[in-house]
Amino acid sequence: MNPVRMQFVREKVLEITREEHGEEAVKGGNPLQGLDILDVGCGGGLLSESLARLGAHTVGIDASESNIAIASSHASADPRLSADSSRPSSKGSLVYRHISAEEILKEQKRFDVVCSMEVLEHVDNPAGFISSCAELLKPGGHLFLSTIARTPLSYVLTILVAEHILRKVTPGTHTHSKYINPSELISFFSKYRSPSDEEGMSWITRTYEHGLPMRTEAEVRGMVYIPWKGQWMLTPRGASGWGTTHCNYLFWVRKP
Amino acid sequence: MSLSSTSSRVFRFASKKGISSPLLQVGRNISTTTSATHHEELDVVIVGGGPAGLALASALGASQAVRESLRITLVEASDLSKVRDWDPHASAFSNRVSSLTNNSRHFLKDVGAWDHVEVSRTSPVEEMQVWDGISDARITFSASELDPEPTMNPGETRQMARLTENLNLQRALLRHIATLSEVRLLDNVKVHLIQQEEREGGGGWPLVHLSDGRVLRTRLLVGADGFNSPVRSYAGISSYGWAYDTQAVVATLSHAPRSAFQAPNTVKYQRFLPTGPIAFLPLSPTVSSLVWSTKPALAAALVKSDPMILTSMINAAFRLPEVSMRHLHRFILETGASLTPIQIQEEITWRERSHDIDRHSAYASATSDVVAAGIPSHDSDMLPPLVASIQPGTVASFPLRFNHADAYIGEGEGSRTVLVGDAAHTIHPLAGQGLNMGLGDVESLARCIQEAVLQGGDIGSHTALSPYAQERYFENHKIMSAVDKLHKLYSSTLEPVVWARSVGLEVLNEFDFVKAAIMMNAGAYSVRGNPAADATGWAMAAKGVEGLATGAATAKIVGQGIVGMVGIGVQNLLRTMGTPNQQK
Ligand SMILES: Cc1cc2nc3c(=O)[nH]c(=O)nc-3n(C[C@H](O)[C@H](O)[C@H](O)COP(=O)(O)OP(=O)(O)OC[C@H]3O[C@@H](n4cnc5c(N)ncnc54)[C@H](O)[C@@H]3O)c2cc1C
Ligand SMILES: C[S@@+](CC[C@H](N)C(=O)[O-])C[C@H]1O[C@@H](n2cnc3c(N)ncnc32)[C@H](O)[C@@H]1O
Repeated sequence: MNPVRMQFVREKVLEITREEHGEEAVKGGNPLQGLDILDVGCGGGLLSESLARLGAHTVGIDASESNIAIASSHASADPRLSADSSRPSSKGSLVYRHISAEEILKEQKRFDVVCSMEVLEHVDNPAGFISSCAELLKPGGHLFLSTIARTPLSYVLTILVAEHILRKVTPGTHTHSKYINPSELISFFSKYRSPSDEEGMSWITRTYEHGLPMRTEAEVRGMVYIPWKGQWMLTPRGASGWGTTHCNYLFWVRKP
Repeated sequence: MSLSSTSSRVFRFASKKGISSPLLQVGRNISTTTSATHHEELDVVIVGGGPAGLALASALGASQAVRESLRITLVEASDLSKVRDWDPHASAFSNRVSSLTNNSRHFLKDVGAWDHVEVSRTSPVEEMQVWDGISDARITFSASELDPEPTMNPGETRQMARLTENLNLQRALLRHIATLSEVRLLDNVKVHLIQQEEREGGGGWPLVHLSDGRVLRTRLLVGADGFNSPVRSYAGISSYGWAYDTQAVVATLSHAPRSAFQAPNTVKYQRFLPTGPIAFLPLSPTVSSLVWSTKPALAAALVKSDPMILTSMINAAFRLPEVSMRHLHRFILETGASLTPIQIQEEITWRERSHDIDRHSAYASATSDVVAAGIPSHDSDMLPPLVASIQPGTVASFPLRFNHADAYIGEGEGSRTVLVGDAAHTIHPLAGQGLNMGLGDVESLARCIQEAVLQGGDIGSHTALSPYAQERYFENHKIMSAVDKLHKLYSSTLEPVVWARSVGLEVLNEFDFVKAAIMMNAGAYSVRGNPAADATGWAMAAKGVEGLATGAATAKIVGQGIVGMVGIGVQNLLRTMGTPNQQK
């Protein structure tokens, strides 16, 4: 799943950067170069590593100490991710910290991009968690979330099949009632105002028919597994067909 | 496959033969001492500087994103300066020649390597004639008739493939790589040991020990190291295959130019004898290359014999009825080393007379009057020109085998490894596909690596590499089994099989295999890049399928463009190709 998540992050940041600063702003088609990125709930660190390889100053945080240990050990095999790399082209960096989103918010540092992939469905207070992620952004920053929609399809695929039939995931890992739908995220950010800036704009100012937001404010893309390719694919933009955002999906929103 | 008993996996390659246990002992000692020694950090180590390895280095270096973010080193045991400085006389040709499909050529062109090929030393294949050694049933394909595709260069003729000396290609790749300062070549050094780095919890990267004492630690280890692939052994990938009871005799042939009344020397001829196919591959108006697959004993006798004997035998093998070829084979083996060129010439003369072969026919070789007469016989385009002599030092033979690795990507303790080219698959050369399959692998793997780099992926990971295996494994498997079936089918002298090969409806079905060989030769079968956007599609016309046994059974087969064939399996494809409007 990681390549398609990276594809979405990279392409969305690239699209916005090009629109605002022109073609020349993005050197070598790599928009993440030099950005400060926070990966919340980094787990084993797959996404953090990829972000760092693309030149981002990446901080991976996780509430679980053992996950941070696993992620650090994995990255230490890779000379490109270690701090003392002599590689000239590697301008990125990677730091892991055992800290929660809520705790790191108390520090001063803010980020150009905050990612939190496959975390939302595990947290008890999603609204509070999403606000913490949102507040960790600099103005104009990008928030990327990925999670599972609360649909009959997601129940079958993630709970019935993955937990109870295949036993790939420990039963109890997922709670279907915790799943959040794309429309709920859109409506959350339509009303959302930063606590620091109560008078400010909401993050999503308008939506079109079918509740789709403006391409420059927010976007939802489904992730589907194509068994014969053995790969995950992004569903096309604006696609609302059955299955496209009915299970795993990515969400992007921009801080005004 | 043997594993060392310690926690680190150690493979030592004393020779191409692979691993032997006393050396493993040494390897283990090394591993304990080298854990402390200095090693160099790399992203890609390619083992093998054959066509596949060099093409991969070339393709990776041609991508800016890859070049800027990965450190790439290729290791080759032999001396590459011999290839780099290869500068033969214009009329002298190497005996290792490959028929590069249009797909392969387009790929090399995109990468920027084809521009370094000395094109004047290559020859287009504009037509192919393939016939059954026993029934004489024949199929002819021509690229010129219905080819809608503009050629790569204006002024270039439409072609099914381009015959290119392997050295010409390898030298071009080396020249291209020389323009890419980021790609490092290490030659005259052998990989003699590969071990997995010891790490707590596993997941150690491959450590590649070179014969000069250097140790390379690499994110991804590519096995482009040929049939006896040390990387494949390290990866713990087993393979499936066998040796054919067949050797391929190769040689560079000199002959008179075709006359003004004849088609130019751009026709590839291949006759399927029960002992194996004999192929004539044009290189220039007066030089062509031989690939003659035959029984090992006969191959050995031919290689050792006086070049004039081989010359006579080649001419006969394209012409004499199969019964007489069988007698000639026996004659050569029985007479042994004492055989003289005169004796074989007399034997062939006698056989031509007894078969009533007209001196003026192209089917006459020993008794031929054709050259003297100056005017070509009516059947001269059915056969290659008469071979006059063999270029000295070009006769050699190779064992033929079928081998397919069980996987292209290493897993578990052998992870961070990937196989391309002959390391992954070895096939019978009858369809001229070995190298083309390797180039297809390289194109796919290079694209896969570039994709992963662009997404910030770890190019050594299974996730990053799996699209490559997905794309290539089944594709190669299909080609390999069709080629293998073709070999087996034509090795048969069983009467029903031969009958089926030549008569009635069956001829068309069985000819599917011949067509498979031809289609694959032409590269029309494999699909490169984005099929829909790819304009490599070309239609071709078979001038006719002529079963001599039925005489009248002539069929017209019109091929369709590649775009229409995308995604159709070989059998389906051939079914489409093989439904001519045959009059019953
Ligand atoms: C008679 C004959 C005719 C053929 N005709 C055709 C044809 O018409 N068309 C076609 O497409 N194909 C043809 N082929 C097949 C083609 O030649 C091969 O597929 C091709 O050469 C394979 O290239 P490769 O780079 O994968 O392997 P190789 O050419 O085998 O290269 C492997 C390289 O790895 C190096 N190496 C191995 N071990 C080590 C080590 N431990 N350390 C360092 N280096 C190492 C070797 O020195 C070698 O240079 C033919 C083959 C034969 C036998
Ligand atoms: C399913 S894992 C996802 C891992 C990783 N992002 C990925 O997609 O591969 C969810 C992770 O989120 C972490 N997590 C949950 N709530 C968190 C919070 N409030 N702050 C930081 N990490 C949290 C958990 O410890 C767990 O490692």
